[in-house]
Amino acid sequence: MRQALILVVLAFLPGIGQALYFRDKVSWQSPVPASEMVTVAQARAWGRNAIWVDARPDVEFERDHVSGAVPLNEDRWNELLPRFLATWSPEKRVVVYCSSQSCNASREVARRLRHEAQLKNVFVLQGGWEEWLEEK
Amino acid sequence: MVAIRIERLELEERLTGKARTSSIKMMNMRTVRLSLAAILSIFVCAVARAELKWEQTAVELHPAATDKEAVGHFKYQNTGSKPVRFESVHTSCGCTAAQTQKDEVPPGEKGEITATFKIGDRTGTQVKTVTVNTDDPVNATTVLTLKAVIPQELEINPSFVFWGQGEAPKPKTIVVRAGKDFSVKQLKVTSSSPDFETKVAQTGKGQFKIDVQPHDTSRDMAATLTIQPEGSSKTFYAMARVTNVPAVQ
Repeated sequence: MRQALILVVLAFLPGIGQALYFRDKVSWQSPVPASEMVTVAQARAWGRNAIWVDARPDVEFERDHVSGAVPLNEDRWNELLPRFLATWSPEKRVVVYCSSQSCNASREVARRLRHEAQLKNVFVLQGGWEEWLEEK
Repeated sequence: MVAIRIERLELEERLTGKARTSSIKMMNMRTVRLSLAAILSIFVCAVARAELKWEQTAVELHPAATDKEAVGHFKYQNTGSKPVRFESVHTSCGCTAAQTQKDEVPPGEKGEITATFKIGDRTGTQVKTVTVNTDDPVNATTVLTLKAVIPQELEINPSFVFWGQGEAPKPKTIVVRAGKDFSVKQLKVTSSSPDFETKVAQTGKGQFKIDVQPHDTSRDMAATLTIQPEGSSKTFYAMARVTNVPAVQ
């Protein structure tokens, strides 16, 4: 019993230490609830009911992108948003992606679409472009 | 005979005893030598190590509303006695570029990594990271954090209004508020399409409402609304659209 208690305390120590050490640190990744994330397979299954939004920089979009995707990045948000909204339809789901799992651009673009443009059904693609390529 | 045998046994025992003592002595010497070597190697490692000391690993920037980019400087010094080599530098966003002044930092030398964050049309607080990998075995990876607080001159909510096809063409309201530390006395709004009419009214200090109304909702049409605060060089936008999807009643 005593040993088990010691083991539990020991298991908690690194976590407590990390929480204390990083208490003032800001995460660079915007938190996204699981309900607002979508896998490549799920997004593909939506077919024509999905609008793909490429949040990567222009250079990367020009190199290659998901077929039919609309570019919308924060470098040229004011210019690109009207183009995206012209293709948007209320019954469609919006799938935003960036380079990989670790990038934050898709989360930021999705956040702005939800809060600033007040669009519903905006999702962030898990794994981004890298994952899409793998499952292509 | 018996005396001779005892004498030989005693001699053998003495010899074996001597050998045992000398082998113990040798083992002790080896242990001492190994310990000395270990201590020496630890000491050498501690003294002749490469160590990059960062003046700060987090930088907060407050660019002006008209700035196109924000530059963060991360200064370092090699306080060790061996050169440090930069192996890779990665940024968390395509909007940030990081540059090292040199590939290798000799002992005692100072330098800096500059991180240039392209602001573009971003707003609010932006946190970007630069991951620096070196050949320093103790601190191989350092994550530098660049925080840019971009001033928001105007807050537009929502930035998009829409009507379904056939929906009553009633006006929809966009609320505009001047950001903290900004003063807006007047707002000029123009629509890119004559299909939409706009009316601006001041509702408070630095607060306005824009009523947007389509002339009809029988077809798909859109307009970009250009919002220009008086005395500002920056232009803001909102969108209005009648979609081709029938309105949900």
